[in-house]
Amino acid sequence: MLAKQEARAAAGEAAKAAIGSFQEPLDVLQGLIDLTSSDYLTQSEQNLMMMPDSPAQWVAMDGETLFSEPRGPNNVSLEECDFGKGPGVLEGAYVELPRYFEDTGKVMDLETRLVHCMVTLQGFSPDDPEVAQRHGSGSDHMKLQTYIASQSSGFAWNLPLDHPMEKALRDAGEVMFYRRAGKADFACSTCHAETGKRIRASVLPNKNIPQEWTKAISWPAFRVGHDHVRSSQHRLMECYWQMRQAGPMPGSDASIALLSYWTDAARGQPAILPDMKR
Amino acid sequence: MFKQSIPAAILMGLAALSIPAITAIADEVDYTKMTPEELAEYLILETGNPNLEQEVQEGGTARQRMVQDELQKICSVVGGGRPDMETLLEVSKQARETIVYPEDGIKLGDWKRGRDLAWSGFGFRIGHNVDDHDKNDIGGNCYNCHQLGTDRTGGTIGPSLVGFGRIRGTSDAIKEYTYNVIYNSHSAFPCTNMPRFGPSGFLNQQSIADIMAYLLDPESPVNQ
Repeated sequence: MLAKQEARAAAGEAAKAAIGSFQEPLDVLQGLIDLTSSDYLTQSEQNLMMMPDSPAQWVAMDGETLFSEPRGPNNVSLEECDFGKGPGVLEGAYVELPRYFEDTGKVMDLETRLVHCMVTLQGFSPDDPEVAQRHGSGSDHMKLQTYIASQSSGFAWNLPLDHPMEKALRDAGEVMFYRRAGKADFACSTCHAETGKRIRASVLPNKNIPQEWTKAISWPAFRVGHDHVRSSQHRLMECYWQMRQAGPMPGSDASIALLSYWTDAARGQPAILPDMKR
Repeated sequence: MFKQSIPAAILMGLAALSIPAITAIADEVDYTKMTPEELAEYLILETGNPNLEQEVQEGGTARQRMVQDELQKICSVVGGGRPDMETLLEVSKQARETIVYPEDGIKLGDWKRGRDLAWSGFGFRIGHNVDDHDKNDIGGNCYNCHQLGTDRTGGTIGPSLVGFGRIRGTSDAIKEYTYNVIYNSHSAFPCTNMPRFGPSGFLNQQSIADIMAYLLDPESPVNQ
């Protein structure tokens, strides 16, 4: 028993030491499980077993092809798109989003930045399906987002807050997280501020426990119940639907504020990308 | 620096409605000069979100759902926690004043329908998949947060209510207490997570009576 505990602790320490370089998503999750005893992280044994063969891996591979392919009216690839660490640099870029971009004067998340590059760089119109279709494993958006995010698997969430706009949105996101409203008086904190609570059989992640919160915000993830890879913006939309409230539009500053706050809450913990969720 | 221009949709909307009070908003706002609370309100209500203009089941638009009422404001504590005891007592007092009782007294309805309602999460959802109240009864969402019967898995955000009536009996006092908590839970538990099912119009008298029967009727699976 003691030997087993020590082995777990050693595995956990090793996992901790590995943060900051690429790790397979299952290895990241296993490392977190070894470090904590979180019912949220361990609730689906089947998902743990399926993760190495997650359909999200195939979606990411499609995204890799799309990323380097010259596309759009301007026939250029996304290799010239700057996600915050320089044109085409993807390694560790996603864990530092949303961030302020000088060229647009706005704080942008991955989806918004991708839209920006598809429109300004590749010449797509915002109404073209490549840009407008945001959901479903077959969409260009989910392929590209899953690929780009995967390049940050194992990296620690590290939201930049140096710019006053980044800080302002993060702080507004905190207020929004606790802001009760709507037909049922719900706020994000109704479900995500205590450990081990469940909605029916589903264990909920607690925003205050970074080791489990990192899994909660690790999107894109293959959503088993939906049979699709889903994005952060999709998760927001679903939560607001359940709360009986008007959700923020994808890419709006309201959505960026919430994503900034939820990313900050997982600071220092390794991202699991792509993840697999119920 | 860091100015955001007002989206064209808002300006057009303002022109169409010609509301002089709102045109007082400057052409540009500076996020970094606002408090987090001011910025949150601005982002939710003033940035032209088309989702706010969606019609909702109770009539009107989703915008009015996003404007906080007094209780929602008081019970939203940034960082978690609860207001001080004096405030909580006031919340509880005001909640009691919202409670409207049935004209013919508090009665237990049909526990079988109550069981279905307790299980159902249907009602008042909007956005990409709008609940049509003509197609289904509005549910109570009870199982999302409570364990009730032992034949189905309930949530744990609220306390377990297994054996609720068996433990408490069905005296008038218990019936009134149960009614109060379903109608406006803040009357007993100020700043609880539980929705106000009466004042919000989420549940009507018949549905409350049926859910009460599910909780209190000795025949109900909750009390087996």
